Amino acid sequence: MPFELVIFLAMVGVFAAGCFAAKLPVSLSMLLAACAGLLVSGNGLPVRHLVEGTFGYVDTILVIATAMVFMRTVQESGALEALNAVILRRFRTVPALLLPLLMLVAMFPGMITGSSSASVLTAGAVVAPVLILLGLPAPVTGAFIAMAGILGMIAPPVNIPAMIIGGGIDMPYVGFEVPLALLTFPLAVLFSLWFGLPHVKVVEWEVLAAKLDLETYKKYGIRLFLPILVVAVLMVLGKTLPQVFGMGLPVVFLIGAALGLVVGKRFNILSASKAAVNDALPVLGILAGVGMFIQVMTLTGVRGFVVVSALSVPPALLYAAIAVSIPLFGAVSAFGASSVLGVPFLLALLGRDQIVTAAALSLIASLGDFMPPTALSAIFAAQVVGESKYSRVLVKLVVPSLVIIGWALAFIVFSKQIRALY
Amino acid sequence: MKRHHATALAVTLLALAAAAAASIRFLDHRKPEPIVRGPGVTEVRMLSEWLPDLAGSPGDTEVYVFRGASPGSSMLVLGGTHPNEPSSFLSAVLLIENALVSAGTLYVIPRANASGFTHNDPQEGAPERYSVALPGGSVRTFRYGSRATNPVHQWPDPDVYVHAASGQTLSGNETRNLNRGYPGRADGTLTERVCLGIANLIRAEKIDISVDLHEASPEYPVINAIVAHERAMPLASQVVLGLEFLDIKIGLEPSPKNLRGLTHRELGDATDTLAVLMETANPSQGRLRGRTDEALVLKGRDPYYVKAQALGRLYVPFDENGHPIEERVGRHLSGISEFAFALSSERPDRPLEFAGVPEYGALLEKGLGAFLKPLP
Amino acid sequence: MTYLYLAIAASVLGLTAWNLWTEKDWRKQATAAMVAIPLLLRVLLIK
Repeated sequence: MPFELVIFLAMVGVFAAGCFAAKLPVSLSMLLAACAGLLVSGNGLPVRHLVEGTFGYVDTILVIATAMVFMRTVQESGALEALNAVILRRFRTVPALLLPLLMLVAMFPGMITGSSSASVLTAGAVVAPVLILLGLPAPVTGAFIAMAGILGMIAPPVNIPAMIIGGGIDMPYVGFEVPLALLTFPLAVLFSLWFGLPHVKVVEWEVLAAKLDLETYKKYGIRLFLPILVVAVLMVLGKTLPQVFGMGLPVVFLIGAALGLVVGKRFNILSASKAAVNDALPVLGILAGVGMFIQVMTLTGVRGFVVVSALSVPPALLYAAIAVSIPLFGAVSAFGASSVLGVPFLLALLGRDQIVTAAALSLIASLGDFMPPTALSAIFAAQVVGESKYSRVLVKLVVPSLVIIGWALAFIVFSKQIRALY
Repeated sequence: MKRHHATALAVTLLALAAAAAASIRFLDHRKPEPIVRGPGVTEVRMLSEWLPDLAGSPGDTEVYVFRGASPGSSMLVLGGTHPNEPSSFLSAVLLIENALVSAGTLYVIPRANASGFTHNDPQEGAPERYSVALPGGSVRTFRYGSRATNPVHQWPDPDVYVHAASGQTLSGNETRNLNRGYPGRADGTLTERVCLGIANLIRAEKIDISVDLHEASPEYPVINAIVAHERAMPLASQVVLGLEFLDIKIGLEPSPKNLRGLTHRELGDATDTLAVLMETANPSQGRLRGRTDEALVLKGRDPYYVKAQALGRLYVPFDENGHPIEERVGRHLSGISEFAFALSSERPDRPLEFAGVPEYGALLEKGLGAFLKPLP
Repeated sequence: MTYLYLAIAASVLGLTAWNLWTEKDWRKQATAAMVAIPLLLRVLLIK
């Protein structure tokens, strides 16, 4: 057995023990796993390496933290609930339209932050009660918003796994919008109906209205949505006119947050920001932990072992290896799976359209957020819908996950044809 | 004190201790390693002499000048464009400590991206330093740096890096890549200003040929190769033949017209210099590598690259002997000598002649340390 | 722009530290500390 495999097993073992036996959060389990890798490999405990690893995600940490602050202001100002009320009033009689719209609302924070947790904890938390009002059982509602989380994470404009995979082969994150939209939006429609249609009832408006906040929209009107609109416009301008509007997502979100402060209900920005960062900390901690974990994997040669093993798979089994290993490794984290496995698989898939392939690999990597013990998206979703066991949510996600893998593999197989479509 | 305040205090103190321990290492990484001024060096200048704005900035860097007794052509050697490519820097150091120029002028910048030497890339697990033993028993230690400018000196990266002269877009972190910033601009980032300083030097000193030294990971297609601007192609073809004669196999590739910001494209377009770039094979920067340590940097041996070679994934031969630093530095130095020779043959009225440069065979036989000077 | 981002990093660091001190669960405190370290070193321009 190669020594690198021994180190890897030690790291994975300590990680699993930390998560399951000691019930530690993923971030700390990852830190302990990194320490185990260092010790087993004979490197001692070089703090420099642990700290250095976290710097791979400093910019991402700022993006997620500011995005959460922005989402919190949108929520506190009453804009999110108002948006739901508007959608429900217009579309409640046509569930085939309503469900995809709610899916889109729930995906939105993930689309702009690249974090499934941001989606689940913010817009997911607002959409969930509406879904329950419409008749969806709690575990199904959980599955709905968990799915919105990962589809939002992969949908354009911000897709961190795709950035990580592209970065590994010096491919800029440019031109991903269309393939990512083609990958995610059809699935969003499909799964919103999949989860929703069997349960949804047409509810009388009077019944719904009693449970919705209609006052805020009446009082402030359309201007409630100004922060969302400004953020969306600035993000588009940031892509199209980067020389002028290339201020970066953290600044865009803070501009949105500042607007959120004045357009609707008044709230305390300090405590809202604190709460937002508190919600984000588990994810930010995981990012820091993944950074350490990958630094140690690289240092000890485990990364090389994993990458070369993945490349050694016979071509006939390549797709099976992608379908199995990336979601499995996602137990560490979707970002970690993208970095460690996404990049070598993209290299092994030479001759395909690289952008479409990288986009599809990022979709498979996103399933890591359903994979226990991390299962970020599912755990947060269970928390949001008040389901004590997240496994009840997870069960509902098994078949949809297989559909996602099949869909993504189809994109890889037909990458060139798909590229030719646009 | 409440219980949770006690744990908060403990956690905070632990975090501060970890931050302090790491900080000591990070700050220590900023101390430049000494380079011994060899007998051929006539002046040591600073890049800021060609772009005063750089003075005192982390981008300012030494320029070693070797002025020959008789006039002739001039050459600029850029080492350390990417400080995680050690043969580039070490080749420049060996030139500085050994070369003697009889005709023409040689300029050597060992740390083209000085800021990049002050840190390591996150998640690469790179060693901070590597050491080479000298025959007398002493040891010389050098920093292993990052591919890019230190974010402490240039932050944040934009989401998308737009190359100023062409509008070409690349991923945001390429903003800190010196070899994507040419020809540089005065009101640009630190990286772009260093590029401009180098371009100004080339223009002001009328540099005839500029050689940018690099390394590539074995899975990267452009490797063990010369990349030449179209005006430099005839000269580079001669060098390929000359190296072939020394049993050094090297590829020759034309500088792509649509890949902007690189030395072999922009310096050739923006100045009169003949712009070329050379690559050697460095497993310590690749993503298929196994254990990452000093030995990998210097010996260039790696079992996973041997496996990857068997799988047909590499662009250079890779066996158990790997690609030791002596081989990589030897390739670069031989290439530089051949460029000087070819230039002199082409312009006999303005020769560029130098001696004392360690030869490929001698490096392989005696080791790198034999050609480094002991520190005074 | 650098100063703006340093201010943002300092703010996130401040909010993280605030959460660390008001949080009751030591595990969450430790997670906050893991996030705070890189932010602190960036704000101090050390790494």
